[in-house]
Amino acid sequence: MSTHTYKKFEEADSGILPDKMTIYQDCLNAFNESPVNAKRCRLLISRLLQLLAQGQTFPRTEATALFFAISKLFQHPNDSLRQAVYLAIKELSAVSDDVLMATSSIMKDVQNGSDMIKPNAIRSLTRVLDESTAFSAERLFKSAVVSKHPSISSAALVSSYHLLPVAESTVKRYANETQEAVSDLKTYPYQSGTSEHYPNSTYIAQYHALGLLYLLRKHDKVALMKLVQQFSAGNLLKNQLAQVQLVKLVGSLLQKDPQLVTQFTPLLLSWLSNKYESVQLEDAKLITSLPDRFVSPEIFASAVQTLQGLLTVPRVTTRFAAVRVLNRISMVAPEKIVVCNPELESLINDSNRNVSTYAITSLLKTGTSNNIASLIKTITNFIHEISDDFKIIIIDAVRTMALKFPEEWKSILNFLINVLKQGEGGFEFKNSIVEALFDLVQFVPQSRELAFENLCDFIEDCEYNEILVRILHILGKEGPSMKIPSLYVRHIYNRVVLENSIVRSAAVVALSKFALVKNDPTLVESIEILLRRISNDADDEVRDRATISLEFIESIKSKEGASSSAAEDLLQSKYSYDLVSLESKLSQYMSAKQESFKAPFDSSSVHRYTEDERKAIDLKRKQEQLFSALPSAGKSKRAASSSQDAEKRNGSYAGPASNEVDQDLQSTKFVEELESIEELKSLGPIINTSKEVPLTETEAEFVVSGVKHLFKNHVVLQFHITNTLTDVALDNVSVGCTMEQEDSTALQETSTIPVDRIMPSETFACYVVYEKSEEVVTEGFLNTLYFTTRELDATTHEPFAGDEGFQDEYEIDSLFLTAGDYIKGSFVGNFSACFDELPHSEVAVYNIKENISLQEVVDKLVVNTSCLTLDNTQFAPTDSNSHTLKLFGKSVLNGARVALVVRMIKSSKGIALKGEIRSDDANLCNDVVDGLI
Amino acid sequence: MAELSLYSVEAVLLLDNEGNRIYTKYYHSPHEKSDSHITKRAIDGMSSSSKQQTEYESRLFKKTHKQNSEILIFEDCLVLYKEYVDVSLYLVGSIDENELVLQQAFSAIKDSLELILATGIDKKNIIEHFDMVALAIDESIDDGIILETDPATIASRVTKPPSKDAPINIELSEKGLLSAWGFAKSKLAERLQQGL
Repeated sequence: MSTHTYKKFEEADSGILPDKMTIYQDCLNAFNESPVNAKRCRLLISRLLQLLAQGQTFPRTEATALFFAISKLFQHPNDSLRQAVYLAIKELSAVSDDVLMATSSIMKDVQNGSDMIKPNAIRSLTRVLDESTAFSAERLFKSAVVSKHPSISSAALVSSYHLLPVAESTVKRYANETQEAVSDLKTYPYQSGTSEHYPNSTYIAQYHALGLLYLLRKHDKVALMKLVQQFSAGNLLKNQLAQVQLVKLVGSLLQKDPQLVTQFTPLLLSWLSNKYESVQLEDAKLITSLPDRFVSPEIFASAVQTLQGLLTVPRVTTRFAAVRVLNRISMVAPEKIVVCNPELESLINDSNRNVSTYAITSLLKTGTSNNIASLIKTITNFIHEISDDFKIIIIDAVRTMALKFPEEWKSILNFLINVLKQGEGGFEFKNSIVEALFDLVQFVPQSRELAFENLCDFIEDCEYNEILVRILHILGKEGPSMKIPSLYVRHIYNRVVLENSIVRSAAVVALSKFALVKNDPTLVESIEILLRRISNDADDEVRDRATISLEFIESIKSKEGASSSAAEDLLQSKYSYDLVSLESKLSQYMSAKQESFKAPFDSSSVHRYTEDERKAIDLKRKQEQLFSALPSAGKSKRAASSSQDAEKRNGSYAGPASNEVDQDLQSTKFVEELESIEELKSLGPIINTSKEVPLTETEAEFVVSGVKHLFKNHVVLQFHITNTLTDVALDNVSVGCTMEQEDSTALQETSTIPVDRIMPSETFACYVVYEKSEEVVTEGFLNTLYFTTRELDATTHEPFAGDEGFQDEYEIDSLFLTAGDYIKGSFVGNFSACFDELPHSEVAVYNIKENISLQEVVDKLVVNTSCLTLDNTQFAPTDSNSHTLKLFGKSVLNGARVALVVRMIKSSKGIALKGEIRSDDANLCNDVVDGLI
Repeated sequence: MAELSLYSVEAVLLLDNEGNRIYTKYYHSPHEKSDSHITKRAIDGMSSSSKQQTEYESRLFKKTHKQNSEILIFEDCLVLYKEYVDVSLYLVGSIDENELVLQQAFSAIKDSLELILATGIDKKNIIEHFDMVALAIDESIDDGIILETDPATIASRVTKPPSKDAPINIELSEKGLLSAWGFAKSKLAERLQQGL
C-alpha cells in the first residue's frame, strides 16, 4: 500500500463515510493482502460495521465475498484485530452463504485463543453453526461453561441459549455443567496492566445459566420447584438479574398452578424486602398479578407498601416502574391502592410526564365520588402544562370515569367544557374532548341540555371541520327530542350562513331533522323556510341536500297520519347497519359477475342494529376500555389490542366477554360459513349465534369447541374439531348428540353433516341440525365424537393405502342450549324505571357451595344470560362480601325485554344468590330463572 | 406474565441530534424464526425492513427529543434513553421486562461508553472510535440477551485498535510458511469459487 492511499484513508476519518462500494472494494483488497496490515484492516472493519449499523445491506454474493475475505484475517494473531473480525463475522453471518466454512478457524480460537478473544469466538461460533453441525461444538461449549473465566462462561451459556431452538439435545448434554455454573461464583483473574479498566465480576453468568436451565426444564414442574428451592436458599444468587429471573421463574410456576402460592408465600414476602429494587419490583408485580383468591390480603398489602416505597425513590426509572404497576392495579382494584394516594398526588408534578400521567390516571381510578370534584380541580391546573399526547390520555381517563360515576356528571362536564374552550390544543386533543362529551350525552341523559348548550357555543369558533360536522350531526340527532329545539336551530343555521360548504351541507342535514318535531308546527314551518332559502346556495351539494330534505318533508306532510313513512326513516333513521357485514356483502356483490347487477343489492340480508342495540354495544366496549385505558402513547391499532391482551393476562381478572367488535366479525364469519353449506341454506337467516364454548381441554388430542346457531325453526350445533396429533388423520368425523331429556319432543334431530378427513393440525367444523318449535327451548346435549383414525405415512403425509383404520369415539363436554342464547344484551338509560314497568316477574334463590369469588359468579351470570351489565355493576368489589348485579337484554325472538337484579352475598358457607327477573314475556322469565347458574 | 425468556432487549440505537442514524442494531435471535419467540414483538415487522426502522426512529426521536424523561413506553416497547449534546442513546426493551433490569443494561452501555470515550460522548468521538463503540455494545448485549452489566468489565473487554502496523520480523522468519499458506489459500479460494 502506498503512503498516498494511506493518507487519503486517514483523512476520511474525520467525517462522512466513503460510499458503500469503495468500502467494499477496499475491504476485499486489504483483507486479501499478505502480509495482513492489522491496523488498516481494523479500521476498514470499523467502516464496514458503521455501514451495517446504519442499515446498509449488501447483496448476498457480495456479503459472502466479504465474509470469506474477513475469514482470511484469522492468520493474523493480533487480538485487537481478531475481536473486530468476530464482530464482523457476527454481523455478516446472517446474510452470507456457506458460513460453515469459518467454523474450524473459530473453533481453533475457542480452544487456544487468549482469554480476551475466547468469549468473542464462542459467541461467533453459534452464528456459523446450524442444526446439523451443532453437535460438533458440544465439547467446546461444555468446557467453556465450566471455565473459571466469567466472560468465557457467560459467552458459552448465552451462545447455548441462542442455539437451543435448533440443538436442544446437544445443549441438554451439558445441563449438569450449566447447573453448576449457577452456583459457581467466578471472579476475574488478576490482570497485569493489559487494560486500564479493572473488570469486576457481577456474577452475571448466574443469570444466563438460570435462564438456560429454565428453558431446559420448563416442562418439568418438579425440577423447576427444585431449582427454586435450591437457589433461593441462603444467598447463593449474588447477581441481581439472576434474582429477578428467579422471581420470574416462580411467577411462571404460579401462573400454571396458582395453588402453590401458599407454599411460596414466605419466599415472596422475603423478596419484598430484598436489597435490590429490581427484585422488589418484580416480586410486587408478580404478587399483584396473581388471581385474587390465591393471594391473602396481607401479602397484597405489603406488595403495595413496597411499591409505595419505590414511588419516592429519586431514580426516575424506579418511580416509573412502580407507578406503572399501581396504575395497572387501579384498573381492577382501585380500593387496594388508596393508601398510595398521597405519594401519587405528589407525583402529579413529576418531571417525567409519563410518571405524572400514570399517577393522575391512577388517581382518577381510585377516586370515589367524594373526592372526584377536588381531583378534577387538580387536573384543571395541571392539564395546561403538558403536551397534547398526555392531555388526550387524561381526557380518556376522565371519560371512563364519567361512565363510572354518572352522578358526578356536572363537575366532569364543566371540566371538559373548560378545556374545550381554552383555545390551545390540536385536533386530536379537541376531538377526544368532543368524544368524551358525546359519551356523556349518550349515557348520562341528565347532562344533555348543558352539554348541547356548550357545544353550540363551541361550534361558533371551532376551526376543525371534522369536529364541526360531528357536533352538527349529534345536534341534529338529539336536538329534536330536547325541550326547546328552536334553540339549536338558530345555532345550526348560523353555520349555514358563515361556514364553508362541507359544514353547510352537514348543517342542512341536521336542520332537516328538526322538521320532524311533532308538537311545534311553527318550528317546522320556519325550518321549511330556512331550507328553501338554502336551496339557492352556491354549492351544489348543499343545494341538493336542501332540496331533497324539502321533498321528504313535503311527502311526510302529505301523508298526514301515516305513522312511519320511508321519508321519515331517511330523515331520522332508527337503525344502523352492521358495518362489517355490510362491507363484506357489498364487496361480494361487486365482485360477482356482471349479471348479478341486474338485481339490486339486497340490503335486508345485512344485520341491522336499532338505536338501543348500538348503544349497548358501545357501552360494553367502553366498559371494557376501563381495563385497557393504558397511557400507552402508541396509536396503532395493533399496539392497542396487544396491550389490552397483555393487561388482561396480567390483570387478576379477565373480562367476561371478549371484544365486541371481534364478536361481530365472528358472527359475520359464521353466517358466511353456514350459507356456503347446501343443507343449511333452507333454514333461513340466523337469528342469533352464541359465543364459542370449549368442550375439551386445550391440551387434548382433539380440541373441540361448540357454537349454537338459532334459526327460526331450527337449532344448528356447530363443532370445531382440531386434530392436534401429528401422525394420525381422522376420517368420517361426526358428533353424536343425545339430549338430556330423552323424551322431550321440542327438538327433533334432522341431519348431521360430518367431515370427511381432518389432517394433523387442521380444524374443520361439523354440524348437527335440530328442528325446534318457535318458542324458547332449552336443552342439554351430551356429545360424543365419532371418527376413524388412520395412521399417516411420515414421508408422504398420506394414509397408508391398506390401512382400514380404527373406529373410535371420544367423550366431549356437554353443550347447553340455555335461555341466554335467546337474549341479546341491550342498553336502557334508566334501569330501575324500566325494571319496575315490566309486567312479569320471577324470583330465584341459589346457593353456591364452591369456593369462588363474587367476580367469577358475576362473569358466569353475564355469560349465561348474555345480557348487558348496567349501572357499572359488572365489577364485584374486592373489599366487600356482597354485590348487586344489574343486567338487561332483549329476546332475539320477539324483542321482549328482560331485566335482572341479582343480589349476592359471600359467606364462609359459599355464595348466596337472589335473582329477580322481570320481563315482557312470562315464558322467557321462567326460562331465564331456570338457566341462571 | 410473558413467557420467561432472556431475550429482553429489542434494539440499541444511537441517533444524532437530528434523528439520523449513527449506530442502530435491532436484535433477533440468530436461530429462531423471529415470530416464534416472545409473541408481542411490536418491533418485529420493523426489524425486517430498514425503511420501517428509520420511520420508527424518527417517530421515537420526535417523541423524545428535548423531553428529558429518561424512560417511556413507546409503541408497545419500553424505551430508556439519554440525550447528550449531539447524540442520543436509546435502549428499546420488551414491555413486560423489569424496568430496572433494562435500566441496568442501559447504564452498562452508557457508562462503558463514557469509560471508553475518555473525552466525552459526542458524535465526532463516536465516529472516530466506532469500532470500540460497536465492540462495547456487543459486549453488553448479545442479540437481545443482556451479557454484562458492569461498565468496567465491558470496557476492559474492548480492545483498542492496534497501535502500530504489524511487526515485520514475523514475516521474514516465516516467509516459507507464508508462501505455503498463500498457495493453500489460493487453492481454497478456487475451490470455494467453484462451490459458489
